[in-house]
Amino acid sequence: MMQRRPVCAIEDLPPGSMKLVQAGKFGVGVYNIEGAVYAIANYCSHEGAPLCAGYVVGTNEYAPEMPDQLRRVREGRIARCPWHNWEFDITTGVNLADPQKRVRTYEVDVSDGQVYLTA
Amino acid sequence: MIIDANVQPHFRYNAEIRKFLGPAHKLRSIPDVEQQWYQAPGGDYRQDLYGNGYPGSDPDTVASHLFTDGGASHAILNPLTRGNIADYLLNSRICAAVNDWLLTRWLEPDDSGRFLGTIRVNPEDVKGAVAEIERLAGHPKMVQVGVPLQSREPYGKPMFEPIWETAAAHNLPVAVHINGGNGVDHAPTFAGHAYTYPGYAAFMPLNSFVHLATLIIEGTFGRIPGLRFVFADGGYDILTPLIWRLDTFWMSMRDQTPWVDRYPSEYLRDHVRFCSSAFDGPTDAALAERWLDFSDKADLLMYGSGYPHWSTSAPDDVTAGLNAEQREKVLWRNASDLYSVTEGSLT
Amino acid sequence: MTTVEERADDFVAQDIAVTIVDTDVHPLPVSGEVLKSYAPAEWKDKLWPTGNAVSPVPHFYDTPDSYKTMSLRVDAAPPRGGVAGSDPEFAAKQLLVDAGVSIAMLEPMCDAQLPHAEHVLKATHNDWLADVWLGENNWHGRWRGAISVTAQDPHAAAREIERWAGHPYMAEVLMTPQTRGIPFGSPHFDPLYEAAARNNLPVATHLMGQTPFELIPIYPVGNPAHWHDFFASWPLLYVSHLMSLVFDGAFDRHPDLRIVFVEGGFTWAMPVMWRMDRIWQQRRGDLPHVRRKPSDYVREHVRFTTQPLEDVNVAMYREYLEMMDLGDCLMFSTDYPHWSYDSPEWAVRRFPADQRERIMRGNATALYGLPSTVKALPGEQPPAA
Repeated sequence: MMQRRPVCAIEDLPPGSMKLVQAGKFGVGVYNIEGAVYAIANYCSHEGAPLCAGYVVGTNEYAPEMPDQLRRVREGRIARCPWHNWEFDITTGVNLADPQKRVRTYEVDVSDGQVYLTA
Repeated sequence: MIIDANVQPHFRYNAEIRKFLGPAHKLRSIPDVEQQWYQAPGGDYRQDLYGNGYPGSDPDTVASHLFTDGGASHAILNPLTRGNIADYLLNSRICAAVNDWLLTRWLEPDDSGRFLGTIRVNPEDVKGAVAEIERLAGHPKMVQVGVPLQSREPYGKPMFEPIWETAAAHNLPVAVHINGGNGVDHAPTFAGHAYTYPGYAAFMPLNSFVHLATLIIEGTFGRIPGLRFVFADGGYDILTPLIWRLDTFWMSMRDQTPWVDRYPSEYLRDHVRFCSSAFDGPTDAALAERWLDFSDKADLLMYGSGYPHWSTSAPDDVTAGLNAEQREKVLWRNASDLYSVTEGSLT
Repeated sequence: MTTVEERADDFVAQDIAVTIVDTDVHPLPVSGEVLKSYAPAEWKDKLWPTGNAVSPVPHFYDTPDSYKTMSLRVDAAPPRGGVAGSDPEFAAKQLLVDAGVSIAMLEPMCDAQLPHAEHVLKATHNDWLADVWLGENNWHGRWRGAISVTAQDPHAAAREIERWAGHPYMAEVLMTPQTRGIPFGSPHFDPLYEAAARNNLPVATHLMGQTPFELIPIYPVGNPAHWHDFFASWPLLYVSHLMSLVFDGAFDRHPDLRIVFVEGGFTWAMPVMWRMDRIWQQRRGDLPHVRRKPSDYVREHVRFTTQPLEDVNVAMYREYLEMMDLGDCLMFSTDYPHWSYDSPEWAVRRFPADQRERIMRGNATALYGLPSTVKALPGEQPPAA
C-alpha cells in the first residue's frame, strides 16, 4: 500500500547524491539532481538488477556537426544499470534507447526541510 | 512469374576481357576468374554445362536455361571480376571492361529485355567507383551496382560512403557477391583458412553479416535513407540469431553510437535483401514456412538461381514448404519492387 | 548490500539438491603478487615485465563506460576490497546464495605471446585456482575448475591435462578460440584432444581477452569499429571452429571428445547445422572422412553455454528454441561477475518449459559428472522440494 514516508533531511541528500529506501518490492532510490528530487525503483526492467547501485552519469547524443559526432548531455541525470548498463533518465524513468522499457518512478517531495517518498 | 535475381555470366575465355581494356592496360597481368585454393573439386559449375564452351558464356544457351527451362521472366546478370587485386586503379579498369562486355555481349543485343545488368565497381577506388556508377547509371538495363563480398574493411566504414551515396542517388541497390579471381584478402573464415572445399563454401557467405552490422552501427543506413544492399550469396539463415544479438546489445551500447536511433533489426526492411542459396534454410521443408517469418525474411528474400554454379537451385527448391504469399514474394514480388521490374518490361 | 555471513564454529552444513549449474564464472587473483607466487622463480620476470616494461591494460573494444566498470558488474565489488571476482567467499554469497547457483564452473583467462611462456602462465593459473578456489575455499564442494592449457603447444597442453586429471574439482579443459589461424579441426590439436577425451574432460573454449595483433582474429571482411557490431559478429569465430571440427574430421578422430562453446551464443547452431547438413549432402565426395550427418556430430559432441541470452520477445524466443530442438546441448551460464551477467531467475523463463531442467542443471551435470547434492552455505535457504 502506498504511503508518504519521511526519508531524511534535505541536508542529508545533497545534490548529486542518492538514498536507498526500503520501500516497494525492491527498494526505491531517491535522488537529488541539482536541487530537484526524484525517485525510481531499484529494479532494472531487463533482468531485475539493483538499478540504483549503478553509476549516475550523463549520456551522448548524436551531433553530426562535431568531429566525433557526439555531444555529452544530461550529466547527472542518467542511471546506468550496474549490469548491462541500460540507460534510464532518473527524472522520467524512461529508457533512452527504447522508451517502452521504463523503470517505475515514485512521487517525492520536500516539505519543511524533509524529503518525503510516496511508495 | 519468376524473377531470377542472381546469375553470373562468363567470358568465353579469360583473355577475352582484354578486348575491352584500354591501351594503357593491355600489357598488364590480370588474374583469371577462377579462384585459387577454393575451387569446387570437379568444377565450379553445373556438370551439364561443360563441353560446350565456358559455362554461362553463351547468351542463347543461358536464355534457354533460365527462361525456357527455368520459367523466369527476367534474370539479373551479376558478372564476377578478377579479385581485390593490389592495383586499385587497374582493378577499376577491369570492372569497366566487364561492364562494357556485359553491355556489348548480353544487354544491348537482347531485344526481349529479359536480361538486366549490374554495374561492377571496385570499392577500394572510391573516386573510380563513383565515376563508373555515374557513367552507366543512366542505362535502363543496369539495375544495380555490384561489389565483392571480399574486402579488407567492412562496407559500413566511412571511406566507402560516397559510393553508396551515389548508388542510392541513382536508385540502384548495391549487390554484394563472392568475387572471382584472387587479390589481397584476409583468410575466408574467422579461424583461418578452410582445409576443405565444403568448409569454405559453407562459411564464406556468412561474412555478409559483418558488412550488414557495420552498415547499421556506423549509421550508413541511417544517413542514406534510399540505400539498399543485396547480399547475393545468401547467408540469411544466420540473420535472425545475429540480428537478435545486435538488437540486444544496442540497449547497452547506444551511447557510443547514438546515431543508431532504433533497434538494428528495424533497418532491415528498408535497406536489406538477400538472394536465395542452396545452402540456406531448414533441411526439413515442414519448418520452412514458419522459419521464413522470423525476422520477416519473407520480405527480404529474392529467388536467385546462382546459374551456372554447381549449386544452381530451381525455384521449387527454394520455395519448398512456403505458403502462397511467401512463394510470390520470394519468386518475384520482392525483386519486382526492388528493381522496378514488371512482367514484360522495366517500369 | 550483500554481506558475507561467517560460518559459526558449530556450523554443520546441510545437503541441498543441485538445481542450477552455472557453466561460466570468472575468478581473478586478488593481486598480481598472489598469482606470481605460484609461478616458477625463473619465469616471474619473464611473464610479468619489470623495470620500464609493464603489462599494459589491453582494451580496444570497450564495453559501456569500461574505464569505470572494467567490464564488471558494478554491484559485484567485494566489501573487503579487491576487484569483482577476486573474493571466493563474497562470490559464493552473491552467486551461490543470492542467485541460487548450486555449482559453478570457474574459467580464468590469460594468454602470452610465446608458446612456452603461455604454457607456464596457464600452469601458474591452474596452481592458483586449485589452491585458492578449489582447496580450502571449496569446503562446500560447489566450485569446479577449468584446466587452462595453451593452444600453441598441444603436447605441453596434453602434459598439463595429465597433471590435473583426477583432481576432484577440475572438471574441464579450457583453451582459447583465438588460435592464430589454426581452426579447431586441425590435426595440430590432436594431442590436446586425445588427452582430454581419454581423461573424460570436455574441452571448453572462451574468448581469452582483448589480445594484440591477430589474437583478436582479423575478420575476413575486416574488423568493426565498435564493441557492439564486433561482439554481435563474434559467434562467427565459433561457427568457423565448429565447421572445421566437423568437416576436418576431428570428431571422427576423437569419438569421445566433447567441445563446449562458452559465451558465444547458441541460436546460430540451428542454421549452422542445416547449412552443414545441406553442403554435406551436396558434396559427399569431398568429405569421405565425415561418416555421419554433420548435425548428428553437433548433438553428440558439442555443448553451448547460454549467456548472453538475446533479449527479444519471449514467446517468439521459446518458439525458436523449440524449433531448434537442441535442449540436450545447452547449459545455463551467468558469466559472473562480468557486466553482461544473466540472472538465473530471469533466464529460466526464457526457455521452453520442457527444456528448462536440462538447461539449468541436467546437461551440465551429465557432461561434467556432477553430484546431485552439495553443501548449503550459511544463510542459504534450501530450495523448496
